[in-house]
Amino acid sequence: MKDSREKIQEAEKRWEAEVLNPRVKRFNLEKSPTSFFTPVSSNNSHFLEKVGFPGQYPFTAGNNPFDFWKAHAKTAALMDFRPDWGGAGGVGKYGGFGTPADYRDYLLRMQSMGRKGGPNIAFDLVTQCGYDSDSPFAEGEVGKVGVALNSLRDFSVIYEAYTGDLDIDKVPSNFTINAPAAVIIAMYACLAGKRGIPLDRLKGTPQNDILKEFIARGTYIFPPRPSMRLLRDTCVFCCRHMPRLNINSIGGYHIREAGATRTQDLAFSMANGIAYIEAGLEGGLEVDEFAPAFTFNAFGGSMEIYHEIAFQRAARRMWSRILKERFGAKDPRSMVIRQPITAHIGCSSTTLQRPLNNLPRAVIGGMAAGMSGGIPGAFPPFDEPLGLGHSLEAVQLQIDATRIMIYEAKVADVCDPWAGSYFMESLTDKTEEDALAELEKIANMGGAVAAIENGYMPRAVAKSAYERQKQIEAQEEFVVGVNCFTGANEIDVSINRAVEATYDPELMKTAEDRQKENLARLKRERNGKAVASSLKILNSQARDQNKNLMPAICECVENDATLQEICDVFREVFGEAQPVKL
Amino acid sequence: MGQDSKIRVLIAKPGLDGHERGAHVVAYGLRDEGFEVIYTGLRQTPEQIVSAAVQEDVDVIGLSILSGAHLSLTRKVMEGLRAKGADDILVTVGGIIPEQDMKTLENMGVGGVFTSGAKIKDIAALIRAKLSRENGREEDTGISAEPLSRT
Repeated sequence: MKDSREKIQEAEKRWEAEVLNPRVKRFNLEKSPTSFFTPVSSNNSHFLEKVGFPGQYPFTAGNNPFDFWKAHAKTAALMDFRPDWGGAGGVGKYGGFGTPADYRDYLLRMQSMGRKGGPNIAFDLVTQCGYDSDSPFAEGEVGKVGVALNSLRDFSVIYEAYTGDLDIDKVPSNFTINAPAAVIIAMYACLAGKRGIPLDRLKGTPQNDILKEFIARGTYIFPPRPSMRLLRDTCVFCCRHMPRLNINSIGGYHIREAGATRTQDLAFSMANGIAYIEAGLEGGLEVDEFAPAFTFNAFGGSMEIYHEIAFQRAARRMWSRILKERFGAKDPRSMVIRQPITAHIGCSSTTLQRPLNNLPRAVIGGMAAGMSGGIPGAFPPFDEPLGLGHSLEAVQLQIDATRIMIYEAKVADVCDPWAGSYFMESLTDKTEEDALAELEKIANMGGAVAAIENGYMPRAVAKSAYERQKQIEAQEEFVVGVNCFTGANEIDVSINRAVEATYDPELMKTAEDRQKENLARLKRERNGKAVASSLKILNSQARDQNKNLMPAICECVENDATLQEICDVFREVFGEAQPVKL
Repeated sequence: MGQDSKIRVLIAKPGLDGHERGAHVVAYGLRDEGFEVIYTGLRQTPEQIVSAAVQEDVDVIGLSILSGAHLSLTRKVMEGLRAKGADDILVTVGGIIPEQDMKTLENMGVGGVFTSGAKIKDIAALIRAKLSRENGREEDTGISAEPLSRT
C-alpha cells in the first residue's frame, strides 16, 4: 500500500469536513444516508489468512474454483438441456402427498415426463411428529403436506417407483425428516437389504437436523438430549455402514424464516453444527471420518444483497475455522459448507401484494449467490406466497432469470468478485465477529442443547420476528407494495398462473381412510410376536445410553413395527419435549 | 373497553403445524396493544384449545394455521365452542388462507381472517370493533372491521 494509514485518515477527515458534512447539512439530515469505505476501514493486509484462494482454507473465496454446474454450463446451453439450476444435484423436486401408493404413482408419472431425479420426500406432519395414520393426532393431516408413512411396507411401496436404472444404488434420495430420522434411515437400510444392495452403495441425505426443530421448525418429539443421542447413533451408523450417505442437512434457513436476524441465523446454525460434531466424537468417531458427510441445507436469506454476500463468505470462513482449529480436522472436505442453495432472498421476503415483484426480488438473491460462490438461482418462483404449488409460468421465469444471470450477465465468471473490497471485507469481518459473539454467548450457556433447554434460542427468534414486524408497521423498514407505494396510481400487474396438475384432490380427500386401511391390514398380517419382542429389545437398549440404537431400530423396522410404535418406545423412555412458552 | 377490563386473547396453534412466526408476532403485538395474551404453544388439539379458552375466560381466540388444514381444524374449534356454549368468543384465523376459503371460514362464524402482510394494529382494531359491537356499543375505530383480504 503506497498511501500510509495516517495519510488516508487525514484525507478522510478533510473529505468529511469539506465535502460530506456540508452536503448532509444542505439536505437537513442528521447523518449521511450512505457510507464509504477506505483501506483504513478494512484490514486488507491479511489476504492469505482471511480470504485465500477459492477451494482452499479458509474457503472465504468459495468451496471450489468452479463447481460442477459451471463446468457444464456451456454444454447445457448448446444442447438445449434443461438443468434444475439450484436443485440438489440428481435429486428430484421436493414433494409427497397421499398414501405411499398415491405418491408412487405420481413419481412414475413424473418419470414418464422425463423427471428422473431421485426421490426428495416430504412426509406428512403425522409422520414428522412420530405418529401413525390412525392416531387421534393424525386426524385431518394424513397425506396433507407430504406422504403418509407408517412402516417399511409403506416405504417399499414408494420405492416401487425406483428400480432398474433408477434403483437406490444409482439415484440419491432426500428425506426431509428430523425427529424420527433414525427410523427412516433404518427403513432405507432395510429396503437395501431386501433388494440385496450393499449398504455402502446407498446415496442420499436425511435432513436429520433436530436442533433447529426446537428453534424454528417445530416438529420435535423427544427432549433435546435424547434427540441428540439418536443423532449420535445415526451419525455413527451412517459413517460405519453407509459412507456415501450424507449424515444430515443443517439448516439456518428455517431459523431465519422463523424471524431470526442474520447474526442469530449464523450463530445458531454454527452452534447446532458444533453440537452435531461433538455428538459424532462422543460416538467414538474421528472428526475427519464423518464431518465430510455433513451438509448444510441452506442458511436464511434476505433482500440485503451486500449483507448476504458477506454472510456466505463469513459462514464458510467460520465453519472451516471451527473444524480446523477447534476440532483439529485435517481433511479439507471436513471444513467446507456443502449446501445446494447458497445466498438467496428467503421466502419470507416475497410478498402476497403485487406478487410479480417477487421476480426482481429473487433475481437480487440470485446475484448475491452468483457473487458469493453459488449458482445464481432466482429462488423462489414469484408465486411462492400465493399458496402451495409453483405455477409453470413462475418456474419458467425463475429458470430463465437464472440463465440470464449466468449466460448474459456472466455473474459467476469471477470467483469471489468482492474479495479485497474495503467495504465487503469489513462487512464480512463484522458479520463473523457478531456471530462469534453470539456463539460465545451460547457456549457460555453450555452450547446449543442448553440454549434450547433454557428457551434462549427459540425465544430470541420469536422476539426478532416481532421486532421486524414492528419496523415494517412503523415504516422504519420498507417493503414495496406492502407498507409503501400502495397509492391509487399503483397498478396490480395481472398474471397467468397455470399450476401444474400435481396432486389429485380426490386422492388427497380419501388418503386418510385408505391409509388407515393399509395400516390395519399391516397389523393383521405381520408377526405380532416378532414386533413385540423387537420393540422390547429396543426399549431396554434405549435405557442404556452407551448402546447404539440403530441395529435395534432396524430389527423393529424389518419386523414391520410402525413408526409410531418405535417412537412410542422412545416417548416412554425419553419423555416428550414440551412446547416453548413465550 | 373499560380501563380495568383488558381484552383476553388466546393465540393457539391447532394441529401438528410447527410454523410459529405468525403466532409469536401476533401474541407479542396484541400484548403491546394492551390485550392480555395467552399463547398455547405448538400442537394443540381443537378440544384443548376450546377448553383452554373456556377455562381462561377469553374474549378472542386467534388460530394460526399454515398447514392447509385450516378448514377442518377451524370447524372443530367452532363446533367445540358451540357445544360448550362458548360461541360468544370471537374467533379469528391467521395463516396461508387461499381466497376461496375465506368465505367458507366466515360462514363458519369466523370473525376475521388475516394473511401475510396483515398489520397488528388492524388485527387489534378488528377485535375491538367486533367486541364493542357485540356488547351493543358501537365504537368508531376509524378502521374497517371487515376481514382483511388481499390488496
